[in-house]
Amino acid sequence: MSDTTPLWEFSDISKAYPGVLANDKVCIKLMKGSIHGLLGENGCGKSTMIKTLSGVQQPDSGKILHNGEEVQIPGPLAARDMGIATVFQEFSIVPTLSVGENIFLGNMPRSRFGVIDWVKVHSESARVLKEMDIDIDPEAITGDLSVGEQQLVEIAKAIAMDASMIILDEPTAALGEEEIEQLHKLLRNMRSRGTAILYVSHRLDEVERIVNEVTILRGGCVVSAAGETEINVSEIVSAMVGGDVGEHYPKENNSTEVVVLRASGLKTKLGVSDATFELKRGEVLGLGGVLGSGRTEIARALFGVDKLTSGSVELDGASVKFRNEMEAIQAGIALVPENRKTDGLFFNFRASGNITAASLAGISKLGLLDLAAEGAGTERLMNELEISAQAEAKTVNFLSGGNQQKIVIARWLFAEAQVLILDEPTQGIDIGAKIAVYKLMNALTRAGKSIILISSDHDELLAMSDRVAIVQHGTIKKVVDANKLSHDDLVRASADQTHHAPQEQAAS
Amino acid sequence: MKRIFDAQLIGPFAAMVIVAMIVALTTDRFLNPGNLSNLFLQVSIVALIAIGSTVVIFAAGIDLSAGSMVALLTMILAQMLKFMGLPLLLGLPLILIVGGVLGLLLGVITSYGRIPSFITTLAALIAFRGLALTFNNGSPIFSLDPGLEPIFYGKLAGIPLPFFYLLFFYALAAFTMNFTKLGREIYAVGGNPAAAVLTGINVRKVQAITFAIAGFMTAVGAVLMSARLNSGSPNYGQTLELQAIAAAVVGGASLAGGRGNILATFMGAMTIVIVQNGLNLNAAPSSVQNIVLGLIILLAVGIDMWRAELSALLSSIFGKSTSEKRG
Repeated sequence: MSDTTPLWEFSDISKAYPGVLANDKVCIKLMKGSIHGLLGENGCGKSTMIKTLSGVQQPDSGKILHNGEEVQIPGPLAARDMGIATVFQEFSIVPTLSVGENIFLGNMPRSRFGVIDWVKVHSESARVLKEMDIDIDPEAITGDLSVGEQQLVEIAKAIAMDASMIILDEPTAALGEEEIEQLHKLLRNMRSRGTAILYVSHRLDEVERIVNEVTILRGGCVVSAAGETEINVSEIVSAMVGGDVGEHYPKENNSTEVVVLRASGLKTKLGVSDATFELKRGEVLGLGGVLGSGRTEIARALFGVDKLTSGSVELDGASVKFRNEMEAIQAGIALVPENRKTDGLFFNFRASGNITAASLAGISKLGLLDLAAEGAGTERLMNELEISAQAEAKTVNFLSGGNQQKIVIARWLFAEAQVLILDEPTQGIDIGAKIAVYKLMNALTRAGKSIILISSDHDELLAMSDRVAIVQHGTIKKVVDANKLSHDDLVRASADQTHHAPQEQAAS
Repeated sequence: MKRIFDAQLIGPFAAMVIVAMIVALTTDRFLNPGNLSNLFLQVSIVALIAIGSTVVIFAAGIDLSAGSMVALLTMILAQMLKFMGLPLLLGLPLILIVGGVLGLLLGVITSYGRIPSFITTLAALIAFRGLALTFNNGSPIFSLDPGLEPIFYGKLAGIPLPFFYLLFFYALAAFTMNFTKLGREIYAVGGNPAAAVLTGINVRKVQAITFAIAGFMTAVGAVLMSARLNSGSPNYGQTLELQAIAAAVVGGASLAGGRGNILATFMGAMTIVIVQNGLNLNAAPSSVQNIVLGLIILLAVGIDMWRAELSALLSSIFGKSTSEKRG
């Protein structure tokens, strides 16, 4: 075997689902010691490719070569035996088990008597975690960890099985800047030890930083194979979307001088220690900071989820105190949660049920729903936001992430909320849908609504905010005009202290 | 109307028709008018209680208390009519209120007390049966009121009255679930409670209300049970809660909440009763009936659980993919 033989070569792989050709003669070569980016918009066939690569499904045609020899990957277990580890977008960890148990799940070391060798489970996991330079106790219960740490455990699983190829599907979606750095360091380490890595991400800035070569898919076909496209964001975007996308961040400045919301000295028991800021009509106020810095917690405090232990909130000049979400919503505040699947959407409803969910009182008289008003409002918003017509034909679980996110935002347009808190609104959606969300933010501010934007994508946060509040340890350190802040300033300002998250679950 | 009679009815309806055809072909008495009207009498109590069980299931809860609550309510009704001398016209509304209040109590304990409904209603299943035994030294009470029996056995235009109760309550339930704010909130809470909280729906209140509805419908069932035998007994209603849940499940209600059609529950109840009727007509022993009922439940839940696989299988044979693809 020479060094030029790929570790894995997937040649002319086709896979059709009824009605769609999801992969059309896709070729990918994965070399040892190389990080290979697989990119494309939602629905371009990336997930299909990953499923084929990890043995979850069989291709309709095409060849798979392992070290130059033709093989088949009949199932996920076979893939594991061949050294392929896959870290899927949706976690496959068991929250009630310890970190060590999760790392060795399905592969528990056993002692002579066939009993699980707990000492080895924990010592081995400690070794892997140490190797990864991660400070997590192998005996901790995984569900108690932060989402970012859980993701790292997921990756530790892949490392513990000594995989020769690791497939990472959106590994950083849940990670903060520092954790991303940590992960990248780890990947570079693995690369230098000869592991082949397939890296799938929507965060193009990251891709630019870490991958050696990219393959770009569009409509199930390879539009740009490894080596053909330079690894820089604008080249990648135009290859992915297939043409000029126009302005990547179409920011409009609609901020006025009228203060809509004024928070002074907010403090909760759950991660907010001192938050003071003003939000103006038509403004986008970004909350910048690392994961666990308290950005989401500030949003929860504003929204009445977590009780304020001190501090006050003024809305339109009047002092308000929300005891729960319902009161905040009635006052015109909306929260678009970070995880639209678990906290945002009703998968048993079509678009209409999802869009009107926060306005049921508004569209009903004496408890009777005005279905005509619901239908008309839904149609109007679906047209305005260019939501797929499929959204009203079937329940929303069939929609792409971008359409799903538009529906969640449409809910608050329908409810005519005055202040929208958007928590990671573009996470996991493709570039086209991201731009649509940005345009939507413009439309909102143009209509005089105010937005609090939480985003771990620093470019996005800087480009789309009018001002940025830097959050550290639950405290807003300062509020700066976004155009006076560079990417580096933001990273430094938000991360110049120890990265330990505030103790969140002390009382539960 | 399209909203009420949606695609979710097709499966349960087909199951009901197929079962009816099989029974009609294997017995000669199934289609007798006498047997058919008897079917309505048989299905009425379970099917009415199942409305409540289904609504609770829509909101992702479960109500195991119905059977014992029926026994308790028949004893309270008997006590009121026989020993306290209340007139029927006062006793009936009172017992419906008692049922609703007991249900609400279970609902409040479940939602505001944050105890899983399986536990709350299991406790009630056990305790209500015991409570029923505290009346009249645990003995049944007979001959309650001469006006009681016609409620069950009476006819209007030659059609048994229970048919009209079914029509009324199922129409009301279908209307509530599809055209009211409450119905929509119930589906929302069952579909995604976390999202419901963040959209400003009062999740706890909605959950509690579903149990109040279940308690009320159980009381309706209890009235019919008393009327059927003109008595109250601490032994009535054994396993009724399970039959009601079975009806919901055979009708396709997802135990995970949020999905299902209330009218399908009626079809589920009919399917079960037709099978029992067919076995009766063929003189099958009750042991066989129970075995068959068990298998029906298993099959119905199996179809629910394997829905994804089954539809993938069907779609790989016929057209369009139903599974989502994401890039």
